Amino acid sequence: MNDKIPIVMKIIKENKKATNIVVKSLSEGKLVFMASETVYIAAVDATNLEAVKKLVLFKNRPFGKPFSIGVIDISMAKNYVEINNTANKIYKRFLPGPVTVISKGKHKVASGVEAENGTLGIRIPDYKFFQEVIKKFKKPITTTSANASYQKRPYKLTDILDNISEKQKGLIDLMIDAGELPHNEPSTVIDTTIDDTPIVLRQGDIKLKDKNEILSRSEENTQNLAKELWQKYEDFKGKRALIFALEGKMGVGKTQFVKGLARAMGIDEIITSPSYDLEYVYESKIKKNKLVHMDTWRMINPTEEIINLDTKKLINDKSIIAIEWADRIVDTIRTFAEDAIVVWVKINYGNNTNDRIISWGVI
Amino acid sequence: MIILSLDTSCDETAVAITCNTKVLSNAVWSQISLHSKFGGVMPSLAQRAHEERIDFITNKAIKKSGINIKDVDAIAVTIGPGLAIALGVGINKAKKLAKQYNKPLIPINHVEAHLLSSFATSSPNTILKISFPALGLVISGGTTELILINDIGKYEVLAETVDDALGEALDKAARLLGFGYPGGAILEKIAKNGKVTKYSLPLPLVNDKEKNRFSYSGLKTAFVRLYEKEKKLNKQDISDLASTFQDTAFEHIINVLKYQIIKIQNQKIDIKDLLLGGGVANNVVIKNKLRKLCREKNLKLHIPYTKKLNEDNAAMIGVCAYLKTKDESLIKYLKFERVDRNPKLNLRDKSS
Repeated sequence: MNDKIPIVMKIIKENKKATNIVVKSLSEGKLVFMASETVYIAAVDATNLEAVKKLVLFKNRPFGKPFSIGVIDISMAKNYVEINNTANKIYKRFLPGPVTVISKGKHKVASGVEAENGTLGIRIPDYKFFQEVIKKFKKPITTTSANASYQKRPYKLTDILDNISEKQKGLIDLMIDAGELPHNEPSTVIDTTIDDTPIVLRQGDIKLKDKNEILSRSEENTQNLAKELWQKYEDFKGKRALIFALEGKMGVGKTQFVKGLARAMGIDEIITSPSYDLEYVYESKIKKNKLVHMDTWRMINPTEEIINLDTKKLINDKSIIAIEWADRIVDTIRTFAEDAIVVWVKINYGNNTNDRIISWGVI
Repeated sequence: MIILSLDTSCDETAVAITCNTKVLSNAVWSQISLHSKFGGVMPSLAQRAHEERIDFITNKAIKKSGINIKDVDAIAVTIGPGLAIALGVGINKAKKLAKQYNKPLIPINHVEAHLLSSFATSSPNTILKISFPALGLVISGGTTELILINDIGKYEVLAETVDDALGEALDKAARLLGFGYPGGAILEKIAKNGKVTKYSLPLPLVNDKEKNRFSYSGLKTAFVRLYEKEKKLNKQDISDLASTFQDTAFEHIINVLKYQIIKIQNQKIDIKDLLLGGGVANNVVIKNKLRKLCREKNLKLHIPYTKKLNEDNAAMIGVCAYLKTKDESLIKYLKFERVDRNPKLNLRDKSS
């Protein structure tokens, strides 16, 4: 401890001007801490070996444990990894967002960033400051969390500074202070290198291929389930279109489910069956949530007719949509799933009069 | 006042010419007949169909009325409720005509037009005598509403559906029994030979204290359960089921109506008339039930003079526009750029 490393670290507030300072530091091979939509990250130029070594030193972990990198979009990602069909779908569905997608690397980053088996994790953070930096820097940066290995998740700068040694502090060149971040889970890591079967390595806020079932004993139960599902997927609002595809026989309670969904979204209008008018649009007063309620029951050629209702535009606009009698347009909904989160909800009659067996999952 | 009116709120493309409350022409292109060979309509393709038909129907309505379009005093158009993409077609056409001939454009609520459709006449000198406040009942594929009409344009919704509309429930019951769309009319036919005594279905919301709403989802569910429990159904059974469903669905209307009439009368509000409108109003069974109720409660039941006025049509739009504007200057309707569709337009809305 005698040979003290002088601490040169600068802390500045996150604002527009700061992007230029960050970009300058990164190009000089410096270690920069900044915020993302999950936690604070430790960023270095992912193509600069010396900078990566500095990061390894800070993280206090063996060389060769890989780092994920942050890029601006899928076309930039393609410079560094090979994106297969599965990865493509996940990019479309979840990015930008708190997901790290692992693909086969193209060895265009500094040694020590890709894993030993040549795979590389890509992040497209849904965080404006981060995106501005990448836009100007035009190179990928590491997105590993800003804590040393096995330390507390860094939601504010003191979470980091209080838990590292003076030596580690000496490695940090610049910290961008964005205050305390919302306590979101770290990103979900999905390995897509085995095509068509994405393997979830670490479970963040997003779950894939979940399958669930409950027994509802009343309309109230059914409505509450809708509320729970809304709370589970609400985070996609404004990021992805969200489709609740409802399947179930006549009178089983599909509209009841939508009533619960609407209530959870803060909509206080009465939800009535859209069978006749095909489509109703509701808006909540407070949160400005908008729900498009559709029904294929009366359609003769539902595949064509659902498209005629401008559904594709609704998906592009990241709308929240509930579709009754979705089983009449299964194939069409599968194509929607490329750009939207589709939660399939199947309601069946149970043994007792009011019993319903409800199963659901993301397709 | 001569009005050219248009309605494209749902499946039908409709244009009419009216003079005050008299219907001069009432042209309707029904998608139902157009597509019946496929077993029904292609509702969401209505937009394209409306666009293809609207000029033809407009010309047909004008020609049949014997009126020159230059002599029209105003254009009226349905702005809601209905299917958004379909409503737009009628509104666009109406604006085009209003601009071309420099006519005022009056936006109309489709449900209000059904509500007031009994005012339509076939001869120029008959005037419907109604004393306000009056009761109004609109029952159709998309609407189930009981309204207190304090005056033209002044409405209080006493009850409306919280889930399915009556017409929709009838259509769905018919589908379950294996009949096509729209099934309401077929259900009525089948039900004619049926008895209501063999099966029983629960009367909706029988324990509702306030009886200020209609609901058909529970009845629909009970019907599905009853139907699936019965293994072998012969023709008579099907008729009995149809008849039981229809009867229970209508009894629910009567039940709510009875309660609301008593409530109004208890408030010492004198009502003498009940106006009926909407597609289900063509059903003979509900008409008979309502007639009976009106006799008991000392009300006069008013039904449009022809069945066509109960279905979706534009003459009711013209009559409604006349009733709403007859005492005012039409100048303000010359500024119509901002007239826009409102798929969820409600009688409670100010813009109605």
